[in-house]
Amino acid sequence: MLSFILRRLIIIIPMALLVVTVTWGLIRLAPGNFYSSEKKLPAAVEENIKKKYGLDKPWYQQYFIMIGNVVRGDFGESLKYQGQSVNEIIRRHLPYSATIGILAYLLALAIGLTAGITAALRQNSIFDYGSMALAMLGLSVPNFVLGPILVLIFSLGLYIFPPARWGGISSIVLPVITLAAVYAAYIARLTRAGMLEVMRSDYIRTARAKGLDEKTVLLKHALRGGIIPVVSYTGPALAGLLAGTVVIERVFAIPGLGNIFIQANLNRDEPLVLGIVAFLSILIMLFNLIVDISYGFLDPRIRYD
Amino acid sequence: MAKISFSQFRAITAIIILSSFLIGCATSANSRYFGQTVAPTDNIMRYVSGSEPESLDPQVGTGQPEARIYMALYDGLVEYHPKTMEPIPAIAESWEIGADGTEYLFHLRKTAKFSNGDPITAKDFVYTFRRGLTPEFAARNAYLAYYLKYAEAFNSGQSFVKDANGQFLLKKDFAAPSADPAAKTETPAQPHAALGGDSEFHRFLDSPERLSVPSDAKSRTKLFDKDAKLKAAVEGKELVPVKAEDIGIEAVDDYTVRIKLYQPAPFFLGLLAHQFFRAVHQPTIEKFGIGWSKPANIVTSGAFKVVAHKPYDELVVTKDPNYWDAANVKLSGIEFYPLDEQTTMMNLYKAGRIDALYNHTVPAAWNEVIRQYKDEYQLHPEVATEFYVISVKKPPMDNVKVRQAFSLAIDREALAEFRKTIKPLTDMTPEGIFPKYEEARKKVYAEKLKENKISPEDWAKRTFDPEGARKLMTEAGYAVQKSGSGYSTPSFPVDKVSITYNTAESNKAVAEFVQAQWKQNLGITVQLKNMEFKTFLPLLSNVEYEGFGRRGWVGDYMDPFTFLGLFYTQVNEGATGWYDPKYDAILNDANNTVDEEKRFEKLAEAEFYLAQQQIVVPLSTAGTSWMKKPYIKGFYPNPGTLHAWKFAYIETDPNKWDVNANNIMKASDQAVDEQIKQLTATQDAQVEKAKQLAATATATPTAKVE
Repeated sequence: MLSFILRRLIIIIPMALLVVTVTWGLIRLAPGNFYSSEKKLPAAVEENIKKKYGLDKPWYQQYFIMIGNVVRGDFGESLKYQGQSVNEIIRRHLPYSATIGILAYLLALAIGLTAGITAALRQNSIFDYGSMALAMLGLSVPNFVLGPILVLIFSLGLYIFPPARWGGISSIVLPVITLAAVYAAYIARLTRAGMLEVMRSDYIRTARAKGLDEKTVLLKHALRGGIIPVVSYTGPALAGLLAGTVVIERVFAIPGLGNIFIQANLNRDEPLVLGIVAFLSILIMLFNLIVDISYGFLDPRIRYD
Repeated sequence: MAKISFSQFRAITAIIILSSFLIGCATSANSRYFGQTVAPTDNIMRYVSGSEPESLDPQVGTGQPEARIYMALYDGLVEYHPKTMEPIPAIAESWEIGADGTEYLFHLRKTAKFSNGDPITAKDFVYTFRRGLTPEFAARNAYLAYYLKYAEAFNSGQSFVKDANGQFLLKKDFAAPSADPAAKTETPAQPHAALGGDSEFHRFLDSPERLSVPSDAKSRTKLFDKDAKLKAAVEGKELVPVKAEDIGIEAVDDYTVRIKLYQPAPFFLGLLAHQFFRAVHQPTIEKFGIGWSKPANIVTSGAFKVVAHKPYDELVVTKDPNYWDAANVKLSGIEFYPLDEQTTMMNLYKAGRIDALYNHTVPAAWNEVIRQYKDEYQLHPEVATEFYVISVKKPPMDNVKVRQAFSLAIDREALAEFRKTIKPLTDMTPEGIFPKYEEARKKVYAEKLKENKISPEDWAKRTFDPEGARKLMTEAGYAVQKSGSGYSTPSFPVDKVSITYNTAESNKAVAEFVQAQWKQNLGITVQLKNMEFKTFLPLLSNVEYEGFGRRGWVGDYMDPFTFLGLFYTQVNEGATGWYDPKYDAILNDANNTVDEEKRFEKLAEAEFYLAQQQIVVPLSTAGTSWMKKPYIKGFYPNPGTLHAWKFAYIETDPNKWDVNANNIMKASDQAVDEQIKQLTATQDAQVEKAKQLAATATATPTAKVE
């Protein structure tokens, strides 16, 4: 088990460097650069900028300087936001995204698991059809549609919640609901399907045959197996949620990482893009690892050697 | 997964949104104002400033979002007039301009202070200018200061050339136009008495311009390879690097700044209100380096100072009691919200959480509804144009008749009606922005038409003349034939022409409109290509696009030259591949003219010349199109949407709120009018004094400035 975790942890480093390298190549291949704008700069000004940022050096030198910095965990300074280091920007904006993300995740889990389990237990009942129809709706309505609808009703119609911007609990209600909707729907469907499958399996029959009461059968035996698909889905999903979702953050003007990431790409802000990409890739790999480890606890058939 | 029903659901939700939106509009249109309209009681204005500012250092940020913030935090020699954007006194209470138009003398007020209480003196401006031009600082806006003598030479790391006798080589001896693509006209170097007293530095600046060559050996060799005469003259001589101290700005005394330009630039004064020239605090910058503009360290020179900065969230500023004009600053503070999502900011505005927006923020789909709110919707002409540049070197667009035909085949009135916020444009400079220039232009055009035997009626048809367009196209060798109810031009090489634009809803709408017009009127269907902005830019600047490229141009200062200069000099920004020394000559001649009216006439001549070449297809003058709550006053839809914040205030009495935004520029607001009058009085007195001086003495006349 320990060696498995160690192996996986060690792999993360070269994987992250590979991701950074590919990203770097893609940024360099994209036309335009961080200082280009509608007004063309005089050659002298462009020369000055290139010298200042080391862009006058050959590309392989620039690459090794960049990789050297990344290995040391230092992504340097943002090109667009002078005087702000990439690490500082990520540290500053991660909490916004993480707050929204974790709350949405918890909300989605609560709604999704409850709805999924209930629907599975009362298969083909009104509740089953109702909640699954709702889940379908949740999956089909993209969040850039749901968000504005909620704003229209609660902010511009009833004036209960602010339509956008960060500040106070009331400001995070709408974004959290918007973000949670799709995940809740997906979790509900996964849980229902997982539970239905497990409930039909032999070991549940055995458990019942042993004379265990229904509650124990359900919570101790069925649920553990039934939520495996949910775990494998929500692990990486949580990584994405933590790092921010572009649409929600733009619609609700939340100063989160997703918003910054998109802007950084449009600005060709190379260090910032690389920093966020590296951070994201490590986060996703870590969560995948956690998911893999958790399988061992959920499913007694899985062993790590 | 439920992917099958996805598109259906999308359609349904679209209907839900649309209907609920319509319900929302229908209910709100009954009230006079758009959404919640309650004046804030804390006297703090909440403003959307656009995307997150790059930096709070005014010499770093180059965009409008930054400019809006810098105008609150920093003060310059002059400030933009809140309505016209013409320069009005700020830290300089008055100024004089030398007779040849290359020398400016600024008299600073003695009460100006930085936010930490340090006085703002002439030395601070000298420092600011030199800092902005330092090559290592690599300011993107440095080119704005290139009008100052030796500024460009310093910024591009050049050296003077000294011969064995200790004499410097002079530029005029090497003024072969082919050698230097950016060859500027020579300064009329008549020695004259200095404005504001003589000094050794002034004599240096006033002497004929020295030759400068790149200090870097590689670039020098490259230059020499092209110019053998230069090589022979320079090689073996001593190179003296151009220093910051050589730039044409001088602190004559603590409160007098003298600026020397290498050639007359009558628009220079207006340029000085730009953020790049606003005073920064030397000790703070030297102490903290790049981190000086962080909220904990920053020292500012404007009416407001920084309280807190949460990037991507808000920038809070408060009235600075140290500001020299603090008595006239009416707001207690401003909250800037860095947003650029139109719908989001409209929602915030409607919910009463924002007091004003910036330009072009009303989404096209909302326009019909929003324009009903006449007290709030600000639609006025902007110092910005939209046009299609033409790649004039590649056939078939190298034929001027083809270019003219395309231009004539667009119904610009219909375009304006379709886009709602723009005005039709047939020239290079925007309509309704430079009234004095337009008057001069009218006169010049009338003469030119006579000269060229063009009837005024034909000329007036430039906005739309499908008949003429077809005639020209046929003359160019691409016969336009009648086919069915429309036309066709089978011989035209459609595959060589397209409209390329950067991805944006509005650009797409215009391109599709133009495409339809050309199809309808010429029977030519050009392709549309769109690409991400930064991908599109190199395509434009290298003139790699085929046919037409979409451009929008925003003036740097309030003068037609900011538009006409787009095609000035061989390495121009026009992105058409077009260069004509004759055009340059007219512009040089114009800028060497001190008299405003005569200068405008010459500029108009240049514009006429440009119009005949048809290297662009002008489309429209932009409109400001933004909203403000009626209780925000002293805040105007000026041509650049740049607000001098000290004029803005919040009116709590609903009876005194702004009504009818269409009339807002003409309506008088006593508080603001009085404030402007007070500010301009010092310069008016200076002009008066100069007039009297000129009347009594003939020596050193000074030009009148407005």
